[in-house]
Amino acid sequence: MRETIFRDGFRAALAVLTAVLVYSLAGQVGPELIVVFNAFSVIVLYFAVQRGEIFGAILGSVCGLAQDAFSLGVFGVSGLTKTLLGYFAGFVAKRVDVSTVPRHGGLALALSFIEVVLGMGLAALVRQEPVNVHGGALFLQPVVTSVLASGAYALERRLMARRTEPG
Amino acid sequence: MPLWDKRRHVWLLAGLLVFHVLLISVQVPRGAKRSLLERAFFFVLSPVQRAAVGTVRGLGDAWRGHIALRGVRRQNEELRREVFFLRQESVFLRERLARFRSEREVEGLLTAFKDSLLLARVIGVDSANPYRSIVIDKGRLDGLAADMPVCDRLGRLVGRTVEPISLKESKVQLVTDKDSSVSVVSAVAGLTGSMTGRSEETCDLRYVLASSTGGEEGEELLTTGFDRIYPPGLPVGRISKLEKDETSPLFRKISVQPHFRFNTIDVVAVIARRPGGSG
Repeated sequence: MRETIFRDGFRAALAVLTAVLVYSLAGQVGPELIVVFNAFSVIVLYFAVQRGEIFGAILGSVCGLAQDAFSLGVFGVSGLTKTLLGYFAGFVAKRVDVSTVPRHGGLALALSFIEVVLGMGLAALVRQEPVNVHGGALFLQPVVTSVLASGAYALERRLMARRTEPG
Repeated sequence: MPLWDKRRHVWLLAGLLVFHVLLISVQVPRGAKRSLLERAFFFVLSPVQRAAVGTVRGLGDAWRGHIALRGVRRQNEELRREVFFLRQESVFLRERLARFRSEREVEGLLTAFKDSLLLARVIGVDSANPYRSIVIDKGRLDGLAADMPVCDRLGRLVGRTVEPISLKESKVQLVTDKDSSVSVVSAVAGLTGSMTGRSEETCDLRYVLASSTGGEEGEELLTTGFDRIYPPGLPVGRISKLEKDETSPLFRKISVQPHFRFNTIDVVAVIARRPGGSG
């Protein structure tokens, strides 16, 4: 039991570091890319579907707080939305068959859209003012997130299939 | 089976949600002050960002420095020409300044000016909105503190340092941030006001009375120094649009296009100490 917790904790730490790395490099490519590409959401979705709701919620919480630490917004808003994202991704994945890439993508799209809307609502509630949607570009974020998360999932499945192929 | 074991995941979710709601509730009345947890996250993760960006830049520099040498000579020539004209400009300005101050004072001012500047590289942008903040690779160990002005490579205002400031990394609030406010004056008409961000590409120039005259599109805006954060005379932006404010007839509605562009802020200068004054 202790070994599993340690292993999961190590995986979560690696996942957070990967998210920070990818986000940092994306910012160097083009600062406006950050609006449509949220590395933290991609990482949370990718791992939550595989590892379940508990891991997803904790990873979502840490990734969300990491995202908030690199932002001037209210610390905790992304933490809250990504906790929900990670939890429900793991929760649904355990009860519904999302093993095919289209289903996986559909789940990722739906949850990341809800996350973006919830994040906008919370930010507007806290600051008592409308949120900048960057001319609608912010709504592309769920599409990009679901494509990348499902793409990573599909790639992993292909690699696993190759590894288990006889001969 | 105990309730905890049956619904462990629900309790965990509830606990995490309560934690985040409390975190947000504690954060809001503190305003710009950053919590200890946020500073801890930034302290731990900003070196990762610095390492990632530094590695990619290093590879790029190695490529440019050793493999892709085409264009290096031309770039060298351009830089030599630029330095030549900058030196001429410096001599011209020194000579003009010497008419009002002694040679010793001028030398002292210029030395103090050079000593007050700290060069830094941008290693990250705001994770939620790129027009709010950036992260640079200088921190407390380099002498940085909050509320230090930051300029781009052409000496134009970019923003100011804000908390959290780590040992070797700092956050910079951009002038385009919604919570940013800079006291400015227009170069020709002398209109004074407060340039505030919108967390997007353009800013507003507020508190310019509707009864005031002057001001036209393209007019340069400079800092006044009244806010005691930004030294006077720094170029900030240009007026892009002037119109009547329907919502507030007392003031004019003026849009401003800030000077800085993301492609000119790969390297920035932090004014770490006020030249000739206290930091």
